[in-house]
Amino acid sequence: MQAIRERLRTEYLFLLPFLGFLLLFEIYPLINMAVRSFFDNTTNQFTWQNYYNVWSQPHFRAAIRNSLLFATACSAVGAVGGTFVGYIASRLSPRARSLLLSLYSLPLTLSGLVVAFAFIVLLGRNGVLNLLVRQIFGLPRNVYFNVYSWHGLVVVYSFYQIPLMTLTMAAVFLNLDRSLVEAARNLGANTWQVWRYVIIPVLAPGFLAGLNIQFAGMMGAFGTVLALVGGEKNLLSVQIYYHTSESTYNLPQAGALAVVLVILIALLLFVLNRLERMVRPGG
Amino acid sequence: MRGWIQRVLFVFLVLFIVVPLLMPIIFSFSEVWMGILPRGFTLRWYEAIIKRPKNYSALMVSLTVAFGAVALDSIISIPAAYALNRLETKGGRLLRNFSQILPLIFPPVIVGTALVQAFSRPPLALTGSVFMVIIAHALIGFPFMFRNTLASFQTIDERTLSEAAASLGANLWQRLRYVIIPNVLPGIMVGALLVFAISIGEFEVTSMVAGFTAQTLPLQLFQQIRNDMRVASAISAFLVYVSILAFLAMTYLGGRLYGEARENR
Repeated sequence: MQAIRERLRTEYLFLLPFLGFLLLFEIYPLINMAVRSFFDNTTNQFTWQNYYNVWSQPHFRAAIRNSLLFATACSAVGAVGGTFVGYIASRLSPRARSLLLSLYSLPLTLSGLVVAFAFIVLLGRNGVLNLLVRQIFGLPRNVYFNVYSWHGLVVVYSFYQIPLMTLTMAAVFLNLDRSLVEAARNLGANTWQVWRYVIIPVLAPGFLAGLNIQFAGMMGAFGTVLALVGGEKNLLSVQIYYHTSESTYNLPQAGALAVVLVILIALLLFVLNRLERMVRPGG
Repeated sequence: MRGWIQRVLFVFLVLFIVVPLLMPIIFSFSEVWMGILPRGFTLRWYEAIIKRPKNYSALMVSLTVAFGAVALDSIISIPAAYALNRLETKGGRLLRNFSQILPLIFPPVIVGTALVQAFSRPPLALTGSVFMVIIAHALIGFPFMFRNTLASFQTIDERTLSEAAASLGANLWQRLRYVIIPNVLPGIMVGALLVFAISIGEFEVTSMVAGFTAQTLPLQLFQQIRNDMRVASAISAFLVYVSILAFLAMTYLGGRLYGEARENR
């Protein structure tokens, strides 16, 4: 008994650096940020103003709307594209598949700035692809794909989002047991029933988990946007960045915006989690 | 016919990743690239990284930060993974899920603003120092390190192995030296490589906490994209090489790379 207690104690000791680090550098800063978002930037008095601003000021409201729309668009492109590539990957020979999936792992650690650079060269006003298309079709100089527009940004971010979803969905498709589908067919299920009761329940958890990651990631993304268009595109994450580190320095306001962003992400994760439970077998 | 379609699709999917990655590399070796095709061959833009003091110091800061973040993540993650693998309690599972969900709900932009707010005043006025950047990168990287390390402790069944070694008379040092470390090292290395690659390219949080003294390579790249695309191309290409090398090393070590990457994001 004494020996067991002794061993337990040493193992808890091993957890100390981990817990200490997280408490000091993650939990404490987050709580501190949430608390300070209720105080005025100059007078240090308690106030609801920072949150009232998020609600009442048009550019904050636009930022929330833009962030939600942009994250939805990017996640949708990523989810559809990644599911497609994941499906193709699952049908390739093992060697081709492993090559493809290795390539699709690369963007995961790649700097957002590198991606911005690559797409400026490819799709900037005089980018290689724009020049090529113009020359082939004999189009005038003012015709080009605008990488600095909203849909341009969606294309750039698809370079992250599609590979991310591909890795998830390739594994999901590889786990899909074909004999299950055949068994359902043999039992007399029609195509709709096979999809509703066999294929979708198997694919859905992975798909929704992938969607979670896509959406949460996109709500916070701003590096590539900043490198491509600066502060021209009004996103919640860009607003937080500017209120933290640029001339519009107002930390409590940044804190309030950050709290709103966390709430939005948490709400979405909650809804997707619920959805996952609904489509699960027996649900 | 179907095989033909599949082959075309495969080439297209490969190009989707390869073409953008090639852009900074081709740009960095060419003298001018104004039209469709680049012209000339030069190493001048790489020279600029080493010869311009600002770029060179940024390279050094980046390497310091990346090694620092790997070291810090090792110190906090390896003992914790060892302990959690042994503590199959509710608390252990909670902590495991916690480290999974944490980076999702608190994206880098939030971590960045929270760090700036907490550590810009005495007694802990860390913002603007290299230490703050190391801490920030360790925060972003620890889920990768932690999960890979924990997974390798779980797959080798560390407890049974240790007990077997102990019953054969191995003391704690011998067990660590000959049994545990050789078995979990590949997993730890994969985690370390991921942390290193992420740290070298990190821009978002760095730009919030770094200030002027801790300028890393990506912060230089951010300025150069506006000022001088040619120097920017060399920095970008360098970052691409680091990512590729890290992934080659991980493939060599693990083999089950995409499984890891999938769980990690």
